[in-house]
Amino acid sequence: MIENITGDLRVYMHFLGMLIRSQAQYKVNVAVDIGASFAITSLEFVAVLIYFGKIPSMLGWNIGEVAMLYAVMSISFGLAEMFGAGIDAFSDTIRLGEFDRILLRPVGPFTQVVGSDFRLRRLGRITQGCMTFVIALHLLPGMHWTAAKVVALAIGIGSGSILFLSVLILGATLCFWTVETTELINILTYGGRDMLSYPLTIYHQVMQRFFLFVVPLAFGSFVPTCYLLGKPLPFGLPGEMVFAAPVIALVFALCTRVIWQFGVRHYQSTGS
Amino acid sequence: MKMIQADGLSKTFRVARRRPGVLGGLRSVFDPEVRKVMAVRDLSLSVERGEIIGLVGPNGAGKSTTIKMLTGILVPSDGEMSVAGLNPLHQRRELAKHIGVVFGQRSQLWWDLPLIDSLRLLRHLYGVPQARFNANLAQLRSMLALDEFIDTPVRQLSLGQRMRGDLAAALLHDPELLYLDEPTIGLDVVAKARIREFLLKINAERGVTVLLTTHDMDDVEALCRRMLIIDHGRKLYDGSVSDIRERFGGERTLAAVLDPAQLATMPHDADGQLIVEDLPAGVHLSRSEEPRIWLGFSRDAIPAHELVAWLGARYSLRDVTFQEPEIEDVIRRIYEEGLLLQEAGIP
Amino acid sequence: MLRFYLEVARTAFRRQLIYRWANLAGLLTNIFFGVIFSYVIIALFHARPTVAGYDVRDTLRYTWLVQAMVMVVLTFGWYDLMLTIRSGAVISDLSKPCDFYWYWFSREFGRNIYYLFYRGIPTYLAGMLLFGFGIPVDWRFWLAFLVSLILGASIGIAYRVLYNAVAFWFLEARAFGSLFVVVALFFTGSYVPIPFFPQWLLAIIQWLPFNGLINVPAEILLGKISENALLFELGRQMLWVIIMTLVVRVIIAVAAHRLVVQGG
Repeated sequence: MIENITGDLRVYMHFLGMLIRSQAQYKVNVAVDIGASFAITSLEFVAVLIYFGKIPSMLGWNIGEVAMLYAVMSISFGLAEMFGAGIDAFSDTIRLGEFDRILLRPVGPFTQVVGSDFRLRRLGRITQGCMTFVIALHLLPGMHWTAAKVVALAIGIGSGSILFLSVLILGATLCFWTVETTELINILTYGGRDMLSYPLTIYHQVMQRFFLFVVPLAFGSFVPTCYLLGKPLPFGLPGEMVFAAPVIALVFALCTRVIWQFGVRHYQSTGS
Repeated sequence: MKMIQADGLSKTFRVARRRPGVLGGLRSVFDPEVRKVMAVRDLSLSVERGEIIGLVGPNGAGKSTTIKMLTGILVPSDGEMSVAGLNPLHQRRELAKHIGVVFGQRSQLWWDLPLIDSLRLLRHLYGVPQARFNANLAQLRSMLALDEFIDTPVRQLSLGQRMRGDLAAALLHDPELLYLDEPTIGLDVVAKARIREFLLKINAERGVTVLLTTHDMDDVEALCRRMLIIDHGRKLYDGSVSDIRERFGGERTLAAVLDPAQLATMPHDADGQLIVEDLPAGVHLSRSEEPRIWLGFSRDAIPAHELVAWLGARYSLRDVTFQEPEIEDVIRRIYEEGLLLQEAGIP
Repeated sequence: MLRFYLEVARTAFRRQLIYRWANLAGLLTNIFFGVIFSYVIIALFHARPTVAGYDVRDTLRYTWLVQAMVMVVLTFGWYDLMLTIRSGAVISDLSKPCDFYWYWFSREFGRNIYYLFYRGIPTYLAGMLLFGFGIPVDWRFWLAFLVSLILGASIGIAYRVLYNAVAFWFLEARAFGSLFVVVALFFTGSYVPIPFFPQWLLAIIQWLPFNGLINVPAEILLGKISENALLFELGRQMLWVIIMTLVVRVIIAVAAHRLVVQGG
């Protein structure tokens, strides 16, 4: 078991190296793609700025605070998109019968799926996230940084990526049964991203609970940002909950992994 | 020890059918109408180490379902099996190290990368030690003449080159068993011959067991001594290739286009059908559709080139082509002539 | 000939019916995004009762109208024409005894009607049920809205054909396509209602083709455009339909000529 995991990790590093090398061959293309992705995602942020041009605050959150939340979200989602591109394209893997090939190799299917793609162009969104972070810092001149806050920011982004990757895996697992309704998972990925780019507390209680306790995406963006900004969490949760985020993310990832393996077994009995 | 031992393998698929209409569609979600399809039924198979065995049958006969079960991709509904001494069901990952698989229609090489990069990545995937990899690569490079295109991205390779690359990819980790699914599909005659020659060589030199599914009877005749015919998921024949060829596959067809002017002067029977006189022994006119004629002849009666020469000496030929017996024809004749398994003397 | 184009549109409509489950998934996605935007709007309007003459109810109606129209007018991820260019099937389409552009126009119009009934109307109804903002009932607005929607859809079709036609020169035009779509989404009011834009930007947007795609029909239905300005707005949409159609037709003619000369 442990041997398999370290072996798979080594194989993944080789996949990654090769994918980066093959994209680096077309430097101009990659640069154009990154630029386009940066432009597109920046336009989305400009939309937020336009709202705040007319209205000063959103249930107690000013533009600088929303920008901070938005930045954390963009970076963690961008990382998940970059590393999870292979999972995102899984419906094609199934449709083209490539999953058979994956099962014929002595490496875990999961490693091979994740390792099948890596998109440098997603650096566009990550760049936009970093720029937004700088803008947020500029808009929040009075913000007081401590070592704990820096740690909270780092684990927030890390946990957020893991959580989004797990949601992508849930969507991919759905493909073992049907490739027709995969758009539904966009509700959790793109929908979750757009939703959590704004303060969680503006939404209906049911939605708040869902994204905190069922699919805990809020632990990757809203919870750490509240800690940075010294804002209270809903449902009386203590702000220090942010330090539990990695554990929550890992537990959620393990759950999706179990569901994924169930999907693989289903595939092996139906072959479709 | 046997390389493959399978007893009573069966696979049933449950196919859900959707009812028409919006309401029907909704009902199908909660109360699906399930139909059972038996893709493979009660198939037993025993393959010795070092054998090359052909698995033939028409589309949808159950060939790929069988191979998927033997590789551990698919769980059988019933039956026992052991491949290379392992249980494909519970030891799929371990088994993967012992087998190589080539799909003729689906490459396992990375599209955008030079062939050599794919081969290097496969070394890591299969955990092949560097020294072993170098030795194998050197051997495969010369046997398959990979050097002329090893640094070319796979998407720029011809089908034949790609197939050579795929064969190399499947053999880098010294598999004991090689599954080939339609390895010569779409290739020209020269490329086919080259692939077949290579397969015979690795079988002889490395003792690799080869299980091959194909549509092409020529593949089977060139490579295998033993063949398995599957139809509707059932084993129809398991025995020697020469037996089948003698009884059913021996007859080839030559199609020739004659000069219309000359045709007019040739004799016709009462129904206006063309008569070709003095045909050599073992050759008969099977069909005529002027100016085209089809001559059936058995392989042993007259070599193809002699028949062409004979025809050319008497008639002015516009075009000549040969048609090999199709696997579908062989199966049809097996049914027609009632050759069943018992008759073929299967142990 | 009109019969032929009608038949093309009908076939396109029916073909779309096959993707029932995919459409249901898409519908739920549309609704979910509508819900997110609604909460954002409600939260923002806590700070101020009206913005640019819009109160919460108007803004919610506007947002859901946009969500409802976006698939009708601006079908995302539409690369059908591009695929025929890549596969070479476009050559046989070009030599058909009908007009190439009107052929694609009819196909797309058929799909637009499908999306109106199976995506647009259910989306708005869902928003209405969830947030209870009702619907404007003045029949004159509805009539003008219908005309404006058809004009908007016509601009949308020309726009889609335009970014697909890039493939006549560069075979892989998907990156272009997604940039085109995002720019269009931004300037049609899909991210932020157009009336919320700063004044200087509004002055520019009003003269862009995007404005006629979704924003004009939405504002008409909401009664935000005075009767005097109505004809002017419809005229401006019409102008863009004509300009875009002409531009696309010229581009197709150039591409077709190039295909004939170079033999593909």
